Amino acid sequence: MEARLRDIREGIDHGRFPAYVFNDQEIFDLEQEKLFGQAWTFLAHESEIPKPGDYVTRYIGNNNLIVARDEHGEIHANLNMCRHRGNMMCKSEMGNASHFRCSYHGWVYKNSGELIGVPYLAEGYEGKLKRKDWGLVKARIDTYEGLVFGTFNEDASSLEDYLGGFQFYLDLYLKQGPNGSEVHGPPDHWITETDWKIAAENFAGDGYHTPVAHQFGFNLGYFPSSGATHSQGWAASIPGKGHGIGLGHTPGFTPFAGFPDALTAEIKKSLTPDQVEVFSNTRTAVGTVFPNLSFLMQPFSLIPGETGVRFVTMRLYHPIGPGKCEMYSWCLVPKDASDEYKEAAYQAYTLTFAQAGTFEQDDLENWARLTRMAKSSAAKGIEFPYLMGMETERDEDFRGPGHVVKPYVNDSNFRNLWGRWADYLLGEA
Amino acid sequence: MTALSTVDRAIQEDIKEFIAREALAVDERRFRDWLDFLAEDITYDVPLRVVREGLAEWELSPTGRIFQDNKQTLEVRVRRLETDFAWAEQPPSRTRHYVTNVLIDDSEKTGEYEVTSYCLIYRSRGDSIEPNFVSVFRKDLVRRVGDSYQIARRWAAIDQAIINAHNLSIFI
Repeated sequence: MEARLRDIREGIDHGRFPAYVFNDQEIFDLEQEKLFGQAWTFLAHESEIPKPGDYVTRYIGNNNLIVARDEHGEIHANLNMCRHRGNMMCKSEMGNASHFRCSYHGWVYKNSGELIGVPYLAEGYEGKLKRKDWGLVKARIDTYEGLVFGTFNEDASSLEDYLGGFQFYLDLYLKQGPNGSEVHGPPDHWITETDWKIAAENFAGDGYHTPVAHQFGFNLGYFPSSGATHSQGWAASIPGKGHGIGLGHTPGFTPFAGFPDALTAEIKKSLTPDQVEVFSNTRTAVGTVFPNLSFLMQPFSLIPGETGVRFVTMRLYHPIGPGKCEMYSWCLVPKDASDEYKEAAYQAYTLTFAQAGTFEQDDLENWARLTRMAKSSAAKGIEFPYLMGMETERDEDFRGPGHVVKPYVNDSNFRNLWGRWADYLLGEA
Repeated sequence: MTALSTVDRAIQEDIKEFIAREALAVDERRFRDWLDFLAEDITYDVPLRVVREGLAEWELSPTGRIFQDNKQTLEVRVRRLETDFAWAEQPPSRTRHYVTNVLIDDSEKTGEYEVTSYCLIYRSRGDSIEPNFVSVFRKDLVRRVGDSYQIARRWAAIDQAIINAHNLSIFI
């Protein structure tokens, strides 16, 4: 396996990547251990659990966790598994609770994970069991602008180091005014026969698929760009970190189009001058935080020809098997925006990228078929070309960090993404 | 709600037939015809279902929606299906809407009826031997228009919290 991974790693640098890894049990198992067991994984947005006692249940790899805000306002992520016999503690996706009580033998934990109640403690355990030794298994957590990440890896570097400068680009989605962003309602989530890597790659800036996969958008005339100009813009990635973003531009685009003017003023104040310079003419911003958290911002008109409204979707591709993942999809809205704008942005999101969304539908159809083909025996020996922009030099005039190249249609982000993926699998990340 | 409806039996029969013909239009992919079953001011909502404890205030999200459409956006969805590029429906899904337990009651407004129904949507795609099943509870507002009816509101709650379909490129 290691020799094979070395070949894959080398191939990536030469613009080649094997097809079979998009649906393979051995790769999946290795990812669980070497990647999701080591890297930082997105858990929740802080606005999902605003009050003491609020919780959601989420995953790190195949581990289910309770992500809860304790009575002092501090966030904890604990394995959702009773330390006594391993029963799942919390069976609800979200809620508010000060304590969790196991329904098997009745052990009770605070929402911080501390064990406080053991039935028949004195009579049964004869003083052998100390409650402080048997709290829920804790994950490390760290946050950035409302995003809560977790890991079981004690040796992982800080989240700040892990993001490695990608914060510059994330701010476009997260610093939408002085109070940032919030989720609009709970996430959609659904199971799909799609390998998580396909979705992660697509959102790392696949501007190439849009004019074909989403051709209907151009055809109906309610997409604020045309196929002819679609390739314009930048692909930015953070070398050695795996993160990448595509910034699609349209000539003559109104700066920050789709935001109400008052909101645009607030956003400009929240961003740095460099960020304003980079983002003001961005039509589409589609990025992936390595490994499996993505964002998309896009102005969109509900009715062809009408003024668009800008929406942000955040999504997590939770791997549940080879070639299979659970899609989580949120709509983020600027916290300080009017309710009217939040509603409009959410409606644009549901029509385009929620599970019944017109763009989402077509992506999933393609991705599910790709996943199916990757499983075929012939796919074992097939590689895909990741050759776009191999020779492209960094755009030195661009005012954002990382390796930034033109045009928007480029494989540079994907080579970086899969290079990082291979490094993790080789234990060299 | 009383045990039996006070709505005239003949009207009830008409509404049941109307609802069945509406399902037929969708299942036969006559989407333009289907739009004619819907009022200009229709609201078409499918809330997100969240797995919650028994005492939670809600299971159906007050803000989260899978569908949140009006006549115009439904028409956009239909226009999309009429292009050659609606890949999610190429080849098209084969659907069957099994509508049962139809109950018809008077609404607050004369000529408008509260119609609840159970609807099991069977959806088959391509060569897959595994169909999608979407079981929903629908609360429609059905309005008398001339000699016929129109749906002025469709609200449908999907029973499954995590839907076993990779997308919902169909109508509920």
